[in-house]
Amino acid sequence: MSFAPLDPLLHNQLRLAVVSLLVGVESAEFNFILEKTGATRGNLSVQLTKLKEAGYIAVTKSYRDNYPLTTCKLAAKGLRAFEKYVEAIQGYLAS
Amino acid sequence: MEQSMTPAESLKLIERMIGQAKRSFSRMSFYFLLWGVLLIAAMIAAYLLRTHGSPGMQGIPWGVAGILGGVIGSIHGAREGRKEEVVNPMDRIVGWVWATFVITMIIMIVCSVKSGMDPGANITLLTGMPTFLTGQIMRFRPLILGGILFWVVGVGMHFTQDAALLVGLYCGAMVFGYIVPGILLKRKEDVLRTA
Repeated sequence: MSFAPLDPLLHNQLRLAVVSLLVGVESAEFNFILEKTGATRGNLSVQLTKLKEAGYIAVTKSYRDNYPLTTCKLAAKGLRAFEKYVEAIQGYLAS
Repeated sequence: MEQSMTPAESLKLIERMIGQAKRSFSRMSFYFLLWGVLLIAAMIAAYLLRTHGSPGMQGIPWGVAGILGGVIGSIHGAREGRKEEVVNPMDRIVGWVWATFVITMIIMIVCSVKSGMDPGANITLLTGMPTFLTGQIMRFRPLILGGILFWVVGVGMHFTQDAALLVGLYCGAMVFGYIVPGILLKRKEDVLRTA
């Protein structure tokens, strides 16, 4: 029996947590993701950059009350990758 | 964070994060408390005007409550909206449910007044719908029960002409349909924000 390979970009705790979180919302700010994932600022920044470079999420930089504001949104490519990832792990679990 | 996960751990993580996203509603308790207090005050003021010789002015408290609630609610919503760290699609759905309610309520008030009918009982019945739906969407039982209470009281109001009883029924529905769920929701929101 052959198993579908797991997307290495999503098969990482923090990146999977970020994408799973973004699946359930329209958009989320950096601090919200930070709080919900319990990650460190540095690590979260690195993983968000990786997801952005892969086209899985869109990151918007703006300002609010003179403070920088980073907002993340799941991209269509990210949603497709997430759905394939979930199908794959369900396949593993069903076997 | 590069440690490998088993498929079961992955699935668990996905479920946990989606659950976190689902629970990230905007704060809504303020609106239930605001409207609960304003509408109770309007009902009592309208009753006092009616029983103290100014029945023609009994619509004024409702108009004042509507304008006050609209202005305070809008200012609060604009302020809080700027602070929200997340946009949840459920917030939008709840917003549309209440917008639909307000439009229907205004049409009902205009039609009832034009037909010489008191819209109170039907509006109480109608209030059950958005309250119940908000409770279901947020999975918050006090609002679900509040919605059911509005339906029960709305039906009850159709079967009495006693002005004092009508005031009691309406205020009771507001206390247990808006204010008590609003207080409990505020506690829940505070706990979620500090968790």
